[in-house]
Amino acid sequence: MKKYLYALPLLALSLWACEADRSTTEEGNLVPLTVEDDPNLPVIAVNGTLLHAETFGNPANPMLVFLHGGPGGDYVNGMQVKALADDGYYVIFYDQRGSGLSKRHDKDTYSIQLMIDDLTAVIEHYRTSADQGVFLFGHSWGAMLTAAYINAYPNRIDGAIFAEAGGFNKELLDEYGAASRNFKLLTEVANDIFYMDQFLTGGENDHAVLDYKLSLITPFAYHEDNDEGVEGPSPFNRFGAVTLNSLSDIAENEGFDFTPNLNQYATKVLFLYGERNRSYGLDFAQREAAFFPNADIVQIDGTGHEMIYFQWEQVYPVVLDYLNSL
Amino acid sequence: MKTIKIFGLLLAYFAINQLQAQFVHANTFSPESKHTVQLNLGWDYGLVYELGYSYRLNTKVPVRLQAFYSFPSGNTAFDDFKTKVGAQARVLRSGNLQAHLGLYGIYRQFENPLVGLRNFGGEARAMIGYFRPRWFVGGEVGFDKAIATQFKHEDAFRDNIYGDVKDGWYQAGTGGNLYYGIQAGYSFKKNSVLLSMGEVRTEAINTTPQLPAYFKLGYQRSL
Repeated sequence: MKKYLYALPLLALSLWACEADRSTTEEGNLVPLTVEDDPNLPVIAVNGTLLHAETFGNPANPMLVFLHGGPGGDYVNGMQVKALADDGYYVIFYDQRGSGLSKRHDKDTYSIQLMIDDLTAVIEHYRTSADQGVFLFGHSWGAMLTAAYINAYPNRIDGAIFAEAGGFNKELLDEYGAASRNFKLLTEVANDIFYMDQFLTGGENDHAVLDYKLSLITPFAYHEDNDEGVEGPSPFNRFGAVTLNSLSDIAENEGFDFTPNLNQYATKVLFLYGERNRSYGLDFAQREAAFFPNADIVQIDGTGHEMIYFQWEQVYPVVLDYLNSL
Repeated sequence: MKTIKIFGLLLAYFAINQLQAQFVHANTFSPESKHTVQLNLGWDYGLVYELGYSYRLNTKVPVRLQAFYSFPSGNTAFDDFKTKVGAQARVLRSGNLQAHLGLYGIYRQFENPLVGLRNFGGEARAMIGYFRPRWFVGGEVGFDKAIATQFKHEDAFRDNIYGDVKDGWYQAGTGGNLYYGIQAGYSFKKNSVLLSMGEVRTEAINTTPQLPAYFKLGYQRSL
């Protein structure tokens, strides 16, 4: 009998583990429901997907589309941009495909052209007249997507704001990535990122698990003395890990270049950069702005990459002046 | 559930095979010693330090009970760690070839500014190698299963990310990683130096941990 005592602890553990009733893969447990499962969320059906989207202002006014970062982020920490609705703009927010609270898709369905097509569909969905002005305001990856859109359609957009695009081509992206992702393996920050991988894993399309894991590593973005000058946490609903992984793989394996046609875009564009983002700075802004014939560059003081959330009071007048100047 | 049953059956196998025999441990090279201690440094989901102790049973099937405690480097002490208790047995010997199986129960903990995780898990490990009196080299494969995990979220998570997140225990199988690689060792007197390294994939196979590799350099002494 004594021999069998060795097995009892694991038997007890087995029985007890079966009593736990929650699953990491079930939507709503560790991550919020998306528009597929929550009928109360604002949603639009475009280009074969469901996008979480909101608008502010008079639909007849010039349209300003906010493009969030990531890929895979959401628009929550850019919501202060809606203040421009009171200045005569029809402000549109949407969570990009597979991101935020928008519908999830399998990893192998993504392409950069698809993200561009989604933006076209969003603009067409909300457009109320053929001559309605359309402006894009992109942050980080959203600013890259803004460049990709103008590069694809140089005549469709009436103005653009770029808040620290992470690189308009593969070379610049790699440079920015190398400069902004520094950390030491011996630090607590490294543990906060890597150690959880033995607790929680998911397959390449296990959205709930992968999105949740991605949310857990966000403290890296604002750890002490981070290169991007991020002051602290900012709110978000849910990351789209599969979107991030898919587009990152595409960038890595196929490369990309959003710049060849940017010189055809004669309209003045606006570049913003945060004073405290050591990875970006005036030099990087100038190199990205140089792809355009006509660009203004403005430093936002005392902040970093998340300037729209943390220093909106500085960003707002600069953006408004730019839009009103067009 | 299937995984749990397999672990249970294998552990029971070790428990009931307490027969008398000489023991030769894969990593020890000192069959007459009952007690060994070891100190390891390596990459195991973080740059970790590991302390280990093993005790040789007087069994026919060579079995060694083992216990490990590891923790990653970092500024906050005791927030992240792993404890592992189990047994390793030699299940095959043919000339200089030997095969060993190991089974372990795991308790581990992780904390960051957003969440605290506590997990009960299990690990199965197999190794086959070419053994000489003073050295060995072989290949190993193992599976580390996170069976049940408790989630406890901080206010920072609820305030900035998801206010309705559900704390508590999550059911069997919150994660699992497969690892495979090489192992080698060299002994001198009562001391051994051990090296193992390889790759890690999740149980889904089509994904990997963020750093999909492991590495361990160890020193072991027989008492």
